[in-house]
Amino acid sequence: MSDTVAVAAHELSKSYGRHRAIEDVSFEVRRGQICGLLGPNGAGKTSTMRVLVGLSRPDHGTAQLLGEPSQLAATVLARVGVAIDGPAFVPHLSGHRNLELLWRAGKRRWPPPALEPSLELAGLGDALDRKVKSYSMGMRQRLMLAQALMGAPEVLILDEPANGLDPGEVRKLREHLRRLAADGTAVLISSHLLAEIEMLATHCVVLKEGTLVTAGKLEDLLGTGAYEFEVEDAGRAEEALRAMDGVKSVETRGDRLIVYAPDRTATELNQALVMAGVGVKAVRSTRSLEDVFLGLVERNSAAN
Amino acid sequence: MLQIELTTQLRRLRSLLVYGGLAAIIIIAGLTEASKAGGKGGPATFSALNFTEAGLNFLDPVLLGLVIALLGSVIGGSDRDWGTLRYLYVRPVSRARLVTGKWWALVVCCALAMIVYLGFSLVTGLVVFGWHPYHRAGSTALSAATAFVGVLEAGGYVMACMLSIGVLALALGLLMPRSAEALAIALAFLVGSVIIDNFKSLHDLVVILPVHYWPRYADLFQSGSSGGGALGLGLAVQAATIVVVLGAAYAILARRDPAA
Repeated sequence: MSDTVAVAAHELSKSYGRHRAIEDVSFEVRRGQICGLLGPNGAGKTSTMRVLVGLSRPDHGTAQLLGEPSQLAATVLARVGVAIDGPAFVPHLSGHRNLELLWRAGKRRWPPPALEPSLELAGLGDALDRKVKSYSMGMRQRLMLAQALMGAPEVLILDEPANGLDPGEVRKLREHLRRLAADGTAVLISSHLLAEIEMLATHCVVLKEGTLVTAGKLEDLLGTGAYEFEVEDAGRAEEALRAMDGVKSVETRGDRLIVYAPDRTATELNQALVMAGVGVKAVRSTRSLEDVFLGLVERNSAAN
Repeated sequence: MLQIELTTQLRRLRSLLVYGGLAAIIIIAGLTEASKAGGKGGPATFSALNFTEAGLNFLDPVLLGLVIALLGSVIGGSDRDWGTLRYLYVRPVSRARLVTGKWWALVVCCALAMIVYLGFSLVTGLVVFGWHPYHRAGSTALSAATAFVGVLEAGGYVMACMLSIGVLALALGLLMPRSAEALAIALAFLVGSVIIDNFKSLHDLVVILPVHYWPRYADLFQSGSSGGGALGLGLAVQAATIVVVLGAAYAILARRDPAA
């Protein structure tokens, strides 16, 4: 079961008028995986998610959820929890009533199977009986997460779920999603909080300007070809590394260099620096997701 | 979906104000007409039934049309206004279920408006004018029972007429970015139709306008008139309007990208 593909995007392309939102985007998320969908603003993250849940019709390519084609109001969506484009509720009804109406809209008996843990995560307490129009942004966001989670979905598609949440709430959400993934739920999550994704995700998809930059295991992305050098002369070191074949990007941060060179080993890079007369104080073979992400986006821009 | 639509619409202050406003207009009209109680030109020429029929004439077409267009536009467009439409689609709710649910919600809201109107008219008329046979100048009086049945039939006919403008507002609410825009276009159509209806030279156009047939309920209050034929054509035009407008709205919705 853990190896089943839960979310599949195959060569998805979508344009709005003359604006190309996504082009030839392909990736998969399997059960038990938490996949971070990353990209700068306008990269096509939300457009991709819209196509995946049928809210947008692709110009080309196919989207599948749990092995079934995804389109508007497809029956498979009953097994998917979705939070997309921010929270939206009937403002003059209570939070509780909103959840009930949304659940019943799917022709299902109230209450949903995972209502209690979802409400516990939302932590709205008595406010659940207040009209939604009196809620803060954070409260609406938590109610939206509760509506996505209350049906014990097999797939979760969450667009910027941590928006408006305080650090404690973000932590609770992270732990909750980890538990769900451990039970076999596939989670696709888009976020600007790279540190958060780094702590949570098992896999990662990076988009830029509507195209796929990379997709794969997060540990591979963080560990392969990514090095941090602490050097005595950062200027000379950067010059030496940039002149080397196979070095994709070099970023200087004080006396540290973040180097992305997937075809080179740390020893080869270290040797090149020594040959250039640069003293190397330390070498680490991992980078933060932020470093990788910025490196990838920068590399992709240079290639274009 | 009907239950969901009714819960969201009927628990809304705006909807309650619309129904309250309708009732208030009837009560105010009853009070201002109170001087006719006991009757000019003889005793009891103005009864609760006369008041109810006269009220239909006063409200129809623009005022009642406005109320129903307002209800139709918010039923059609509120999900888009609130942003909840995407969450209904991913529940999942199909377009057909969405449109059907909204249509029946419009029928219920329209029926409620007619019940409010007829109920308040009869009660106000009863308090102010009393329960008498229906009199009309130059015509034989109708018995109270006959006139009461006529009032109910007229209410049903007017409701069918109102559904035609309501469904236009609903369809526009589904298709326009905001329900306020849908209401504005529906009202422009309503007012434009009423104006065009007065131009005899535009007869060929006028006969396909649903508004043209709206005042025909008055035939039900003519002594010796069954009113069936005239109302039948009117009902057929309203039904055709409803089918065409709702069908077109669904067809456009089905072709359109939901995220557009």
